Amino acid sequence: MSGESAKLRAVGLNAWYGRRQALYDVSLDIPTGQVTAIVGPSGCGKSTFLRCLNRLHEEVPRARTSGQILLDGEDLMRQDPVTVRFRVGMVFQKPSPFPHTSIYDNVAAGLRLMGVRRRDELDQGVVRALMLAGLWEEVEDKIDAPGEGLSGGQQQRLCIARALAVEPEVLLMDEPCSALDPIATHRIETLIQSLKGRFTVVVVTHNLFQARRVSESTAFFYLGKLVEFGPTATIFESPREKLTENYVTGRFG
Amino acid sequence: MRSTSVRAGRWTLLRWLGRTFLGLAVVATIAFVALVAGLAYLLAHASWQSIRTFGFGFLTGTTWDPIHNIYGAAPAIAGTLITSGLALLFAVPISLGVAIFLAEIAPRWVRRPLAYAVDLSAAIPSVVYGFWAYIVLVPLMRTTVEPALARWSGGRFPFSSTPIGYDLLTATLVLTIMILPTISALSREALLAVPRIHRESALSLGATRWEATRIGVLKSARGGITAGVVLGLGRALGETIAVTMVIGNIFILPNSLFSEGATLASWIVDTFPDATPGIDRSAVLELALILLIITFAINGVARWLLRRGRNPDDDGAPPHRSWWDRLRARRTRAPSLPTAELDPLGPEPWRARAAERAASRRRRRRAVQAAVVGLTAFCLLLALAPFASVIATAVERGGSLVIQPSFYTSLPPIGCNPHPGVTCQVGGIGPEIQGTLIMLGLGALVAMPGGLLIGICLAEYGRGRLARVVSLLADVMTGVPTIILGVFVFTFFLYADHDATLSALSGGVGLGVLMLPITARATEEALGTVPAAVRESALALGFPRHRVTLRVALKSSRAVLVTGLLLAASRAAGDTAVLLLTAGGSSFYFHSLDTETAAITPFIFDNFGSNYQNLQAAAWGAALVLLIIMLVIGLSARLAVAARADAAEATG
Ligand SMILES: Nc1ncnc2c1ncn2[C@@H]1O[C@H](COP(=O)(O)OP(=O)(O)O)[C@@H](O)[C@H]1O
Ligand SMILES: [Mg+2]
Repeated sequence: MSGESAKLRAVGLNAWYGRRQALYDVSLDIPTGQVTAIVGPSGCGKSTFLRCLNRLHEEVPRARTSGQILLDGEDLMRQDPVTVRFRVGMVFQKPSPFPHTSIYDNVAAGLRLMGVRRRDELDQGVVRALMLAGLWEEVEDKIDAPGEGLSGGQQQRLCIARALAVEPEVLLMDEPCSALDPIATHRIETLIQSLKGRFTVVVVTHNLFQARRVSESTAFFYLGKLVEFGPTATIFESPREKLTENYVTGRFG
Repeated sequence: MRSTSVRAGRWTLLRWLGRTFLGLAVVATIAFVALVAGLAYLLAHASWQSIRTFGFGFLTGTTWDPIHNIYGAAPAIAGTLITSGLALLFAVPISLGVAIFLAEIAPRWVRRPLAYAVDLSAAIPSVVYGFWAYIVLVPLMRTTVEPALARWSGGRFPFSSTPIGYDLLTATLVLTIMILPTISALSREALLAVPRIHRESALSLGATRWEATRIGVLKSARGGITAGVVLGLGRALGETIAVTMVIGNIFILPNSLFSEGATLASWIVDTFPDATPGIDRSAVLELALILLIITFAINGVARWLLRRGRNPDDDGAPPHRSWWDRLRARRTRAPSLPTAELDPLGPEPWRARAAERAASRRRRRRAVQAAVVGLTAFCLLLALAPFASVIATAVERGGSLVIQPSFYTSLPPIGCNPHPGVTCQVGGIGPEIQGTLIMLGLGALVAMPGGLLIGICLAEYGRGRLARVVSLLADVMTGVPTIILGVFVFTFFLYADHDATLSALSGGVGLGVLMLPITARATEEALGTVPAAVRESALALGFPRHRVTLRVALKSSRAVLVTGLLLAASRAAGDTAVLLLTAGGSSFYFHSLDTETAAITPFIFDNFGSNYQNLQAAAWGAALVLLIIMLVIGLSARLAVAARADAAEATG
């Protein structure tokens, strides 16, 4: 994979929580407009890596990083975090609509931060995001109800809509389905695939089938190190590393 | 054979002990409920004469005339509402600023020490705040603030009449200062309790720190913040001693903020000790009853809100929609969302426009962020300035006394002002320290075991609705103004023995009543910090329930428990109102349980305005001693609890 088509590049990235190191010298190119999956046993640093990509890692007390992360070739550690996070959105493991906030206001939150004030513009942005997230039909007639009243899967799609409303260039998803039932999971997987091309998506998952179904490239992390990265088919069918093979064939994890 | 029967005998004995223990705990809890009911009943009964005579007219009457037996409470009610309402108006925005700064904005390493400082300013005894206000605030108001306000307003309402310093405005400021820490601390806790994910969700949309607080955090925290505000109101309504010292205590309907006045609590302090039996005393007792009802209701609401907000994590629970949400949802009309005319997938020219404006908008958002940082930091400064000034004043005026050992053993000096050829005695507060310790010990004798038993009963055996109600009741009792406890104990002793006078015994009982609910709640909370795993593994090993409680749970929560008990004692030692109405005063060492006895806080209250320099200095020495004790106990309590929480975090 050439550096030219990489939306995000991590170069020699290390991350710490206090004195404890969670990532060791990770270098990885995330291709533009594709879905990249990150897999690995729990505690191997997947979430930490993802949170470095939009500078949320630094919000944890005493956390720090070294190395570079390039967004379109520019080191995002040297940029204003607010701008970085506006361009790189995130969806969390637990569906988390803003409390006591209507569905509409949840999705409009980011637009309002952008300075969109006119009702018709907000309406258009909100509806478009809800459509992208495949939620519009289901909430059309209760747009003013609180977001917490939706089912788990709907809440997660609401969070995706909220993140998509500001049209980020990259969408980071940290185990977006791990709290959901199979049907809701399926809907979100379909949704992820529909985002291809338009957004660069990085999705953390510990569900190997999911990684195979939705992603073009897969990165395998183990104990804070990147073990192997390549096209998803290669990682799952003919990995270079023994460790990867053991993991994808279900021998540990 | 033999050994088994001995074993069996031992088990029977243990089980019997366990049952007795459980029985005792339940009895203590019932006794506590009876005490609260008794308090309400006694006040109602004792004020019945007044209620019957004046009816509702009591609430609207404006004269207090013991000679012609005409009594009305309106001026006191008005004074209470005005000072408390205004204090709330000032304190709420500042407290929110403090809470936001401490929870969201300040650099991490200063958060804890600053939060401790704010918390500790809540531990300063009322009488010390009053003394400080008398020395520092009143002159400042009289000479600078109030003339400026009068000039600025052209002497119009509410700044009409001559500024004198002893007035509603000064009382309001004192109340503001005193409720700031309460509201700040509870709001800060509410903000910290909001799950991190909401903050991070907002940040991930490209929010600044302040925007993340606004859209992700404040709404979630609003239950806890409301509770803090209501609790602060409760404190303001019942605050007695400090207000009494600066409000002038004149029974008139105020027509200006520069007017002297009275509050329910200050008027009770002023009139109760000299009230004659009969309708006169009954009328004062009715004031106490009104104050009890108001503060009970307010504290009840606050505590109920707090408990509701603290409920276990909401995973999977149906969403909580407050009445406010529902009302708002009904009010906002459904948005005019696109049907035909708007194509949601059409071009979005506004996006390009927004992108163009992004840079200038970004500058504005950065400015807002900076303004919020500055503003909230300023709020913290406002909140901590009085705290610093109180300590500085006490050290300046009492510092030279408290370093002399004789200060702790001598009798108070004979009042004297230095002039050529005369040297004044310095004296000390020996009798006051002794009296405080004796009455504190008496109170603790009942309150500590009693409170422990109640707390154990609530924490270990009570998961049901009844136990929750009793626990709530204990919480509410900790917020009832102590002046009411003083009135209650005094009246109780009178009912028991018509010739009863102020004494060490009734002082001890008063402090006991004050400490009982605090101790009970402290015990309940301390036991609540025992990890469920510890408790369950002990139960799984076959220990009977009471042994788990006594050995495992109490032992593992020892540090928190001890600090809780110390805090209860320090609140009692710093309280003035109870002792003023129950112990009386004396200038000598303890004589007997049934005679008036000296104590530190009444000594300060009696001498804060003394014309004799050496007496006032001794009062400052006493205030500094109190301050040091309060701050040391308060700080070590916080450190112990924090150490405990850190340990739990490290292992869990
Ligand atoms: N807030 C934190 N403080 C300290 N250590 C953490 C924190 N979050 C994660 N870690 C540690 O960092 C390592 C990587 O965690 P994480 O990135 O969450 O793993 P994953 O998402 O792959 O399960 C783990 O060993 C975890 O214990
Ligand atoms: Mg994770």
